[in-house]
Amino acid sequence: MIQKVLIANRGEIALRIVRACRELGIKTLAVYSEADVQSLHVQLADEAICIGGPKSADSYLRADRIMSAAEIADVDAIHPGYGFLSENAKFAEQCESCNIKFIGPKSKSIKIMGDKAIAKDTVKKAGVPTVPGSDGPIESDAQAVKIARTIGYPVIIKAVAGGGGRGMRIAHNDVSLAKEFFVAKNEAEKAFGNGALYLEKYIERPRHIEFQILGDKFGKIIHLGERDCSVQRRHQKLIEESPSPFLTPDLRKKMGKAAIRAAEAAEYENAGTIEFLVDAKGNFYFIEMNTRIQVEHPVTEEVTGIDLVKQQIKIANGEKLEFDQSDITFTRHAIECRINAEDPARNFAPSPGTIGLYYAPGGLGVRVDSHAYSGYTIPPHYDSMIGKLICSGKTRKEALERTYRALSEYLVRGIKTTIPLHKAIMADPVFIEGKATTAYMEDFLSRTTPDLFS
Amino acid sequence: MDLKQIKQIIELMKRSDLSEFAFEEDGLKIKICRGANGLPVVSSTPAPVYIPAQQAPSAPAAPIPVPVPAASGDETGVTYIKSPMVGTFYRSASPESKPFAEAGTKVTATSVVCIIEAMKIMNEIQAETQGAIIEALVENGQPVEYGQKLFKVKIN
Repeated sequence: MIQKVLIANRGEIALRIVRACRELGIKTLAVYSEADVQSLHVQLADEAICIGGPKSADSYLRADRIMSAAEIADVDAIHPGYGFLSENAKFAEQCESCNIKFIGPKSKSIKIMGDKAIAKDTVKKAGVPTVPGSDGPIESDAQAVKIARTIGYPVIIKAVAGGGGRGMRIAHNDVSLAKEFFVAKNEAEKAFGNGALYLEKYIERPRHIEFQILGDKFGKIIHLGERDCSVQRRHQKLIEESPSPFLTPDLRKKMGKAAIRAAEAAEYENAGTIEFLVDAKGNFYFIEMNTRIQVEHPVTEEVTGIDLVKQQIKIANGEKLEFDQSDITFTRHAIECRINAEDPARNFAPSPGTIGLYYAPGGLGVRVDSHAYSGYTIPPHYDSMIGKLICSGKTRKEALERTYRALSEYLVRGIKTTIPLHKAIMADPVFIEGKATTAYMEDFLSRTTPDLFS
Repeated sequence: MDLKQIKQIIELMKRSDLSEFAFEEDGLKIKICRGANGLPVVSSTPAPVYIPAQQAPSAPAAPIPVPVPAASGDETGVTYIKSPMVGTFYRSASPESKPFAEAGTKVTATSVVCIIEAMKIMNEIQAETQGAIIEALVENGQPVEYGQKLFKVKIN
């Protein structure tokens, strides 16, 4: 029985985990950096241990210090959140060997899905459609060009060790492909310590639609529907919604089954997400699997009524999944806006600093997952997301209108945020009509004047 | 004084014009002042930042650590040896040996002052300063966190 959980993360997800543990009667231990002393989850957790200096490399990425804290505090399980060590197979292994439950998949599954080329190959063998491309890493620019000529331009070069939208380059012909090959290789070496690349057909103006899955330790895997995350800027998601305005019930069924097959191929346990690209004709292709809880998990929670973090803990505890696929129903429409401390009027320049007045919206169907509070100083060392606004309604229209209303009430004084940007998107006809693809943000920003965001 | 009482005092201060509150009892000294932005700032000495479960088996949930801001300034000529890691603090190499450092022990930068055990590895911690130990701030066998003050040292 898990009795104490170490939360190896920070910010809003750490707060999320504290809340789930509290409701399950489980004690929490927050490990934090010196920059996060005033963080809300550190104050709310039952115990707290400082594990290092402000830089992530000196604290949240220090697996040794985290394991040491787990040892002295006698914890039964570690929840890694998202980012940081959540998809670090070695860390999951360390937990396994120290007899501490890692609240997530087996280290083996993290390894399989962590290498994007191996992941693709694994799911392909399970009959999941993948994007046409190189079958594994490409050795040279010459080989890249050869493959590109077979699958057709445009193509996209991706880092095998990449993910989360990083380390990707597009090429439209032989010359640019040869050039981008070396640039991408260097970038991948620097960013991920691994310069291996693979090639894929670049699907134009696709929708990014991902499926949430849950698997228990007994081999049962179900999906909890999709999230449409097409509204992205530089491959970073800004808005996510469920159900996707594009999917038909038939396509949802097909993709749901494919998602489960992909997870089964990785012998998956716990919560995970299968990401697909969907073209205008409804063809879908696997791109990667995220072997962790995701930022946008609340969207699925609001639509299905299921607490995903609690499910994660229960699964780690060895409990059987309490639902069958037929029990999962989608009764509402939910939209999430990621609120970042950035100035959309000045090209999203980061806006760190101290929050003066903070007032979060409320009411039926309004959920705010945020660690911010009046007087909180946002540390400059981590990502700029200060919270998530998730609004839901009986219909997409209601969810949209509610989101617009909630954003109008949301006050964050003292710093700049992307709240005005989200408001503008909620009022934009293209988004309202559900026509947004991954090309949406670039198009939207090009036809909107920046002073709409002040 | 427990955390609940401290929170109550902070609330009272916020709602009033009170700018400073000081309290002293049994080795615990606490001072709460209105900070630059009008919000109360708490300083306390000494502050056990982490209380392990085995030392307080019947106590309610361990107190949430209160952040300790910069020293008040009446500590010239004094420095602290802080823990560079998370683990268990030991004053000597073994239960039978003499402690590495006690009040009055002279130290140089490379003097070993204690051992911190992390994941079954005994790490010798060096003073990294020159002077004389004034006092040890943690007990033998106590779990310590990164940055926790271990010894108070009078600098040469």
